[in-house]
Amino acid sequence: MITLQHFLLISAALFALGLYGVITRRNAIQILMGIELMINASILNMVAFSKFDRAENTGQVFGLFIIILAAVAVAVALVIIMNLYKRVQTIDPSKTKSLKG
Amino acid sequence: MEQYFTDSQLLYLALITITAPFLSFLFGQFFKKYAVLWGISSISISLVTSVLLFFSVWQNQVLHYSFSWIKLANIQINLGFLLNNLSVIMLVLVSFIALLVHIYSVEYIRKDALKYRYFSYLSLFCFAMLCVVMADNLFLLYAFWELVGFASYLLIGFWFTKRRAVHANKKAFVMNRVGDVGFLVGIMILLAQFGTVDLQTLFAENGLIHSSFVQNGLWVSPFRSMPSAWLTIAGVCFLLGAAGKSAQFPLHSWLPDAMQGPTAVSSLIHAATMVAAGVFLLLRISPLFNEAVLTLMASIGLLTAFMAASIALTQTDIKKVLAFSTISQLGFMVLAVGVQDNASAIFHLSTHAFFKCLLFLAAGMVIHQLHHVKEYTETKFDEQDMANMGGLFKRMPLTAVVFIIAALALAGLPFTSGFLSKDGILISVFDWAGHRGGLFWIFPLLVSITSWLTTFYIFRLIFKTFFGDFRLPNIINVRAEEMHLHDPNNWMKVPAVILAVCCLGLVFAINPLSLESSWLHHAFVQQAHENGLLHLLVPVYINVLSVVLIIAAYYIYAQGRITFSNQRTWYYQFSYQQWYFNWLYDKKLVALVLWKSKMAFWFDRYVIDGLVHFSAKAALFMSRLSDFCDRYLVDGAVNGIASIMSRFSVWFRSMQNGKLQHYFVWMLLLFLGFMIFKIII
Repeated sequence: MITLQHFLLISAALFALGLYGVITRRNAIQILMGIELMINASILNMVAFSKFDRAENTGQVFGLFIIILAAVAVAVALVIIMNLYKRVQTIDPSKTKSLKG
Repeated sequence: MEQYFTDSQLLYLALITITAPFLSFLFGQFFKKYAVLWGISSISISLVTSVLLFFSVWQNQVLHYSFSWIKLANIQINLGFLLNNLSVIMLVLVSFIALLVHIYSVEYIRKDALKYRYFSYLSLFCFAMLCVVMADNLFLLYAFWELVGFASYLLIGFWFTKRRAVHANKKAFVMNRVGDVGFLVGIMILLAQFGTVDLQTLFAENGLIHSSFVQNGLWVSPFRSMPSAWLTIAGVCFLLGAAGKSAQFPLHSWLPDAMQGPTAVSSLIHAATMVAAGVFLLLRISPLFNEAVLTLMASIGLLTAFMAASIALTQTDIKKVLAFSTISQLGFMVLAVGVQDNASAIFHLSTHAFFKCLLFLAAGMVIHQLHHVKEYTETKFDEQDMANMGGLFKRMPLTAVVFIIAALALAGLPFTSGFLSKDGILISVFDWAGHRGGLFWIFPLLVSITSWLTTFYIFRLIFKTFFGDFRLPNIINVRAEEMHLHDPNNWMKVPAVILAVCCLGLVFAINPLSLESSWLHHAFVQQAHENGLLHLLVPVYINVLSVVLIIAAYYIYAQGRITFSNQRTWYYQFSYQQWYFNWLYDKKLVALVLWKSKMAFWFDRYVIDGLVHFSAKAALFMSRLSDFCDRYLVDGAVNGIASIMSRFSVWFRSMQNGKLQHYFVWMLLLFLGFMIFKIII
């Protein structure tokens, strides 16, 4: 029997992996992938929780909403990365320090 | 007498009299080339205006101009002139003698590089003296009295490269200060008693002094009263002031030392100006003195006269003899004031001014000529020592003649001015003693002896200087003919001759043998002498013995027929050492003062300075302490906060390192922290 805990555990693991990726990767694309993992973890949560709202399916609607937003965000992020590459010839975020205080 | 000038014109005349010498003093300092011209012309102007004032005021009126000067509560001090008989006779005397001395000085000081300074100082001296004479209140009188002292200080030390001259002017200055303290205290007492220092208000016929009286041990004035002892103290204080200026015992010892100045200055100081100021003061304030003070004054005058005459007997320095003669004659004047014969005192002051001035000028001529010899022959000897003189009559006849005339006047022989004035004093002393009897007969006795001593010492001087053998050639081995000794030129001769004429009795009296016919004496006389046997007898017996003494002096000193070796006897030494007063003052008083000042120095050095140093150290310690507090506690707190802030901000800044992932981590941590916070609460 697959219970809510299983979903939440997988979601948490997915979120943690995504976070780890975001924090440790040296490539902007990989960071973006980490972000995607985290978004997906949250979508999984939404879908799992929608089991408790059969009447209006708010969780699933949110899930769809987030997927669309994530797609848009990826598009925007990729454009930013491309512009970054054009400007500084690298997509390693640790090397772009012109904002350092 | 009819009035030639209006009051305001007289005021201008009086102003000119004192302004001229003062301007000369200033001009002499700035236009040095013409200092001689300034000096002589200014004193001539003063003489002319003095004579005009004299004829306006003499026996005619009293001029009193006053301008408000200082107002303190209910005390008012004025600035003004008071011209009465006494003032105008002094004015003429001072300016006349000063003019002659100026003229004389032209030759005497001719070769001195600092001639301009000499004449400038002379003018200052005359200015001060004329102001003393004219001052209308005691305060002003005191101010110029001090200025006279200061000017004499400058003149006595004119040859300031001579160590002894510097010593002498210091001594004169210090001893005068002792007297001046008395004067000042006297002024304070009068000010306290009467609330004014105006001479006219105090001492005029109907003045405050006359309206005050002593009753039940209280000295009562119209304003307030004080114990009667203060009247005596005031008198003694003024007497002390006069004693300082007029070189009376016990403040006389500055005057012989003051001989270190140029001889012309000595002549001016001794004749009419500085030393006369003391007697002048006594005469101005004479109504103040009560019986006790007058007796004390007479005693001091008598003692001084006798002492100085006895000292003059043995001095070898020609100027020293004359200096002691001056002290002695001033003693006569003080004695005359003491026996309340002011007329004789003034008369003697005037006649003495002429003959003493002449004596000094003539002595100056001798010294001047011998000084030339010293320079000419390039030898060394003391040009003032009578042992180096003798027989000068043949070589300097005019000098000798005027000197002898002056000496006769000093000795008081008939037909001279001294005869008249000295007889006045002698007769008064006899009268005075006659009224009192008993011990007071010492006064006439000693006065007679002093009078004879005077004759003897001055003729000793004459015979040693002008008669006998000329001793100098044997001493320096230069033949007398090579010395070219002669009378000086007219710059010196003329003043001397004028003064010699003034020494004659005819100048002062129509009948030169009668004191009563003297116009000067007559003007001041309050009560005529009793026309008794004394009046006839005193001059006769004084003069007969004087003539005998002159003859004796001639045999002893001119011819050397009578010799006596008394130089080792105690009385000779006592006289030669000037009664050991210098020894006493130097060894005892000065030593005492020095000891006291050393104690004061020690006290100052160790106690006062010690306290000061200790407090300085304490203050230093306190400031070090507060420096420490400020530096380490206050600044420490401020700096500590600042450095913490800076550390903190460095650390805080390090968050903003521009690394994207670090921002993520921070966000995560913040978020987690927030959540934990939320969960706990």
